[in-house]
Amino acid sequence: MATIRGESGAVQFDAAGSTNATIVGTRSWSLTVTKETLDTSVHGDTFRQFVGSMVSGSGTVELVYDPDATGQAGFLEDVVTTGDPADATFELFTTGTTSGTDSVSFAGIITDMEISSTVGELVVVSCSFITSGTITSNLE
Amino acid sequence: MAALNLNTVRATIEGRLATELANTPAIPVVFHNMPYEPTPNSSWVQCQTTFGASEYLTHGDTTDSRNRLFGLLTINIFSAPGVGPGANYVIGDRIRDLYNRVTVSGVFFDAPTGPEVLVSPSPEGYFQTQVRVTFESIEEL
Repeated sequence: MATIRGESGAVQFDAAGSTNATIVGTRSWSLTVTKETLDTSVHGDTFRQFVGSMVSGSGTVELVYDPDATGQAGFLEDVVTTGDPADATFELFTTGTTSGTDSVSFAGIITDMEISSTVGELVVVSCSFITSGTITSNLE
Repeated sequence: MAALNLNTVRATIEGRLATELANTPAIPVVFHNMPYEPTPNSSWVQCQTTFGASEYLTHGDTTDSRNRLFGLLTINIFSAPGVGPGANYVIGDRIRDLYNRVTVSGVFFDAPTGPEVLVSPSPEGYFQTQVRVTFESIEEL
């Protein structure tokens, strides 16, 4: 058994979808994967039946803002991409940064960016995203 | 990037105080683990820099990661007894202005507390007040 602590995580991203690179300064990420269901119950059934349908995902990435930190600007500013073709690629790591290991990868769109500045606290940024296309899970 | 050099942080804090108190009117200042024999009825300052808790700030284990280190700067201001607090507070003002919400060399100073009067001066024979300033520094690994 190997438990993993959150600080071992990482987020890699590339706005153009070519080569993912680690975003320095991330402090949390979350991903929710949802599978829709279709009701296949027919006349005569007494218990409802379903089959799985489309799978999609959404989540957030939170950063400690640093305009000079590698990868931050490209990530934050992707939200203002107009006509976004969902070509950006993400890989969310539970530990390490070895592509395809302990991670979930997908293409997606940053749908929301919130930056906040509060007296006595660090400036933090929270971005929301949705997946587009295949979600590849390497969480085994 | 590299682990935080505590002596660099300490030098930033103490150097700032030493430079200010070397200006006219100069006030003797003594730091941690240094011997000092104060002149009776004189004014002098004792500066104690202490590092405290750290916390994870970002992802990344030992590379591309950041921690936040908290610390406390305690400055004791001693002045002649029996002549009121004015002279002591003049020094206190100089010290508050030195750190009040200042960011220098990557060290972030919070708003100072004090100067607070200490009813039992240590050492005895002086009027003592204390200024405390919490600070934090970001460690980039």
